[in-house]
Amino acid sequence: MSYPIASSLLDGVVLAVVERESTYGYRITQDVQQVLDISESTLYPVLRRLQKDGCLTTYDENFAGRNRRYYRITEHGRARLRQHRIDWQNYRNGIDTIFFGG
Amino acid sequence: MSRNEYMAALRAALAVLPEEERAGALRYYEEYFDDAGPENEQRVIDELGDPARVAAQILADYRELTAVPPPQQQDVPGKRGGKGMSPWALLAIVLLALVFGAPLIVTLVGVLLAVVAIAAALLIVAAVLPLSLLLGGGALVVFSCFLWLHPANALVTLGTGLMCMAAGALLGLLFIKLCVLFVPPVFRGLVAALRWPFDKLRGRSVTQ
Repeated sequence: MSYPIASSLLDGVVLAVVERESTYGYRITQDVQQVLDISESTLYPVLRRLQKDGCLTTYDENFAGRNRRYYRITEHGRARLRQHRIDWQNYRNGIDTIFFGG
Repeated sequence: MSRNEYMAALRAALAVLPEEERAGALRYYEEYFDDAGPENEQRVIDELGDPARVAAQILADYRELTAVPPPQQQDVPGKRGGKGMSPWALLAIVLLALVFGAPLIVTLVGVLLAVVAIAAALLIVAAVLPLSLLLGGGALVVFSCFLWLHPANALVTLGTGLMCMAAGALLGLLFIKLCVLFVPPVFRGLVAALRWPFDKLRGRSVTQ
């Protein structure tokens, strides 16, 4: 069964991936797809929004003769990620209690 | 469909976007194809799906990003008095009430103080009376011992003293009983009366 993915959860997952290592769009998509069943086109709007919100910044690096845009997490993004982690724990604990007892 | 055809379709569908936005989106997907590598080109095209849909998603998100949020002043101070009254209006009303009601308030306070003073005086009298009767009676009893030379006087004094003491004791017990009966409800009533204006400000959060 695949659960519908809340956009807030997606935000958190993307932030966590970028926090681990500043990286580029294709890599981020691959990492997220390890965990969530999302389509290849899902992430661009998410990245764009996180950028607009000041949670991510971008920088370009030369790679094999072409430019590659990398995403990096900001302080604001770290703070947002902390909140996502707390929200997730609360959510997960609630479901765990229902499924497996407290 | 080839990669170039795909990107051309995407570019066309994103034509309504501002130059910078469109360039950013197209650049993202160009790099995406590059990073996926030519061997994955067809897989990516298949998984991305219809370029019109991808573009629609980008457009929808862009509109959401740039939409000007409606002035939601009422929602922000939602903590207090969610009756839709802005804090400034409330402040103005309070100030006006203070200015015009000041003489009235002073009078009311004066009356309240007078009532409190009278109540206090009555309480003091009620407390002191039994005590003084007890002490006075006690004094008379003691004094009567010194009058043993004049037995009649002594007996009268003794009797009076004992009667005073009895009256004092009875009145004292009555006073204590009345206190126990009336002080707690009066006290609670006072506290509720004092809390009422604050509850009103908080939108009666207590009684909800």
